[in-house]
Amino acid sequence: MSTPVSPGTAGRASIRIGVAGVDEGIIRNLVHAFYAKVRQDPFIGPVFAAVIGDDWGPHLAKMCDFWSSVMLTSGRYKGNPMAVHARLEALQSAHFERWLVLFRQTASDLCPPDVAAAFVARADNIARSLQMGMAFRPRASAEPETERHGGQ
Amino acid sequence: MTYVVTDACIKCKYMDCVEVCPVDCFYEGENMLVIHPDECIDCSVCEPECPADAIKADTVSGLEQWLTLNAEYAKQWPNITAKGTPPADADAWDGVANKYPEQFSNKPGGQ
Repeated sequence: MSTPVSPGTAGRASIRIGVAGVDEGIIRNLVHAFYAKVRQDPFIGPVFAAVIGDDWGPHLAKMCDFWSSVMLTSGRYKGNPMAVHARLEALQSAHFERWLVLFRQTASDLCPPDVAAAFVARADNIARSLQMGMAFRPRASAEPETERHGGQ
Repeated sequence: MTYVVTDACIKCKYMDCVEVCPVDCFYEGENMLVIHPDECIDCSVCEPECPADAIKADTVSGLEQWLTLNAEYAKQWPNITAKGTPPADADAWDGVANKYPEQFSNKPGGQ
């Protein structure tokens, strides 16, 4: 019953809630700085631009809610990111990898190392999960170049 | 990859997980919850929230039957997005081992 989850489980970081040093202000700074980088990025910038256009306000607010839910268990975000990503048929593993590179850079630029590590650990898990979910969806696999083994 | 609800949830069904899940991927049976494996984004927020320690990562060994059960009943039971009232005797069942054979109900919850 009280057997703890073994800490060494395949590639999954041990993450606890209430990471010291995370608050709404840090989340906001990270989200805004990160997506400023994303918009400038020649590889994934256009992917976001195609969906979001020029009005980034709502998306930034949504992403602040998302990270608040994930890091602070605030429950503010409610949505279905799996379905949203699965609709983007051209998405490949390389897009997720680039996203993660930019996210890691931004987190380490703005946050103390332990806080950055907590954000990145969650981002890694979520990116892997989204890719796996997409790989199993018929619509996502209709694109022949779609990465089908991402995250395995 | 997903998180999985296991035996410890049966007859406890505290539902704290539902409040924190950002993607509403919990489904409600009469006396336990399950996670839809295709909807879980592996954010891990729910795991430490469970007072009964019933939620595990699917990378933990020996959870195959629970993975199957979660996947099967997530398709049959109604989605739950807000915490309800736990069973009156929830605390009495918390910590009882191997509840599935005698206590698991396959009926949908939220009725």
